[in-house]
Amino acid sequence: MKEKILTFDDVKLIYHTARGETVATEHLSFSVEEGEFVAIIGPSGCGKSTLLSLAAGLLSPSEGSVRCLGSIGYMLQRDELFLWRTIEKNIFLPLEIKKIGSEETRKRARELAIKYGLGDFLDSYPSQLSGGMRQRAALIRTLAAEPDVLLLDEPFSALDYQTRLNVTKDVSDIIRSEGKTALLITHDISEAISLADRVIVLTARPAHVAHTHILGFSETDPLRRRENQQFSGWFELLWKELNV
Amino acid sequence: MKNLTFSEEHRHWLTKRRRSSALVWGLRIGLLVLLLLFWELSTRFGWADAFLVSSPSRMIATVGTLYREGTLFYHIGVTLLETVIGFAAAVILGCAAALLLWWSDLLRRVLEPYIVVLNALPKIALGPLIIIWCGTGSKAIVFMTVIVGIIIVIMQMLTAFLATDKNKLLLLRSMGANKFQILKKLIIPSSLASFFSMLKVAVGMSWIGSIMGEYIVSRAGLGYLIVYGGQVFKLDLVMTATVILCLLAAAMYFFVALLEKILVKNADS
Repeated sequence: MKEKILTFDDVKLIYHTARGETVATEHLSFSVEEGEFVAIIGPSGCGKSTLLSLAAGLLSPSEGSVRCLGSIGYMLQRDELFLWRTIEKNIFLPLEIKKIGSEETRKRARELAIKYGLGDFLDSYPSQLSGGMRQRAALIRTLAAEPDVLLLDEPFSALDYQTRLNVTKDVSDIIRSEGKTALLITHDISEAISLADRVIVLTARPAHVAHTHILGFSETDPLRRRENQQFSGWFELLWKELNV
Repeated sequence: MKNLTFSEEHRHWLTKRRRSSALVWGLRIGLLVLLLLFWELSTRFGWADAFLVSSPSRMIATVGTLYREGTLFYHIGVTLLETVIGFAAAVILGCAAALLLWWSDLLRRVLEPYIVVLNALPKIALGPLIIIWCGTGSKAIVFMTVIVGIIIVIMQMLTAFLATDKNKLLLLRSMGANKFQILKKLIIPSSLASFFSMLKVAVGMSWIGSIMGEYIVSRAGLGYLIVYGGQVFKLDLVMTATVILCLLAAAMYFFVALLEKILVKNADS
């Protein structure tokens, strides 16, 4: 059996505001194995982003524990590229922050960018790139520090539909070919089905795991999966489970 | 030029645009000339008393007199120096204070009401105190310039620092960035545009400060010429000094705007 690289064990998280407290999650337990692509879907407002903050170690659980055996890379809804930096300098950002910027790590990051079609844009500024290219640059930035786990917070939701399908395929190809472990959080059922190996369905607040499904597709290409017979079956099932 | 590859319609559009911008400039200059001409003629034909409203020709004569007396550049220099030193000090100290307030949440929350009150206070009320503390020389005027400008610098920069995109902060924190890295990599570069709009406001503030300071204490400078001219009813002197002040303030503003154009290239998306 593969190693469990990220584990949530009976996690409870309480949010405090001046008006009162909200229990965001309770009895939340699941784990992600090395090399696995897991998607988490849940009804809106179930605290999906909270979950990623917990996984990234930016929040500590009120009860229970979150264990991550490796380093994480966080990809947000928008590309969040720094407009005053060139694409290359944006990609080097995690290297600077983690103080691991060396000739070698920079070279590897640059090669990654070239490999995935950003070679001609390294000296461009983000404003000169299309939305899809920018999101691709954001992924390369996330990968530059060689994280063990990728946390994806609806990374395609800010894109228009056509770009979205293309970027989803891009990101899927890159993550698969780099052999990364990924945890995707989304409200988009078809996105979860087209990307993941396993889908976890959360309940409404306080969120915990309602169902887990191993999808069992033979192909990983998100566009091909959408044509697959099983796709609509999974969609119907997950749709029902979200709307109980 | 790329012009050759453009369509007929696009070239037409470009010409139209150039013409309309030329029209605006023409009208701007025309308005000024017309105003000066009207002013000059109305005093020549006796519609207005040149003793009370002065006139362009009398102002030119006054500049000539000041120049021959050797005091023209002396007065300009005194005021300009006071303003620029006060401006620079207000900007540097104000930005440092804003950084400190951004860094410490506790400090910011404690000092917030004090800043609000200091902002509302008319600084001219401090005139007597400034004379006693700093004497009646340039030191008092620079001090006045600083206190007039610094509060707005602090408030605008703090607002800019605090308005930094929450998601970009989240991104940096997820990379494990410490507070100093967040400041250096995100807060300061993303506040550059706000810094320049603050500078433009601070230019105006420092002229207010220095002239107000000269009204209260000085023995030299353009503010002094205005007060002195008013006291001895030499309105030519008052008008001349005011016009020179306009030109200097405009020059300083355009200098800041130019600096912005050079430095803020990729700040917009």
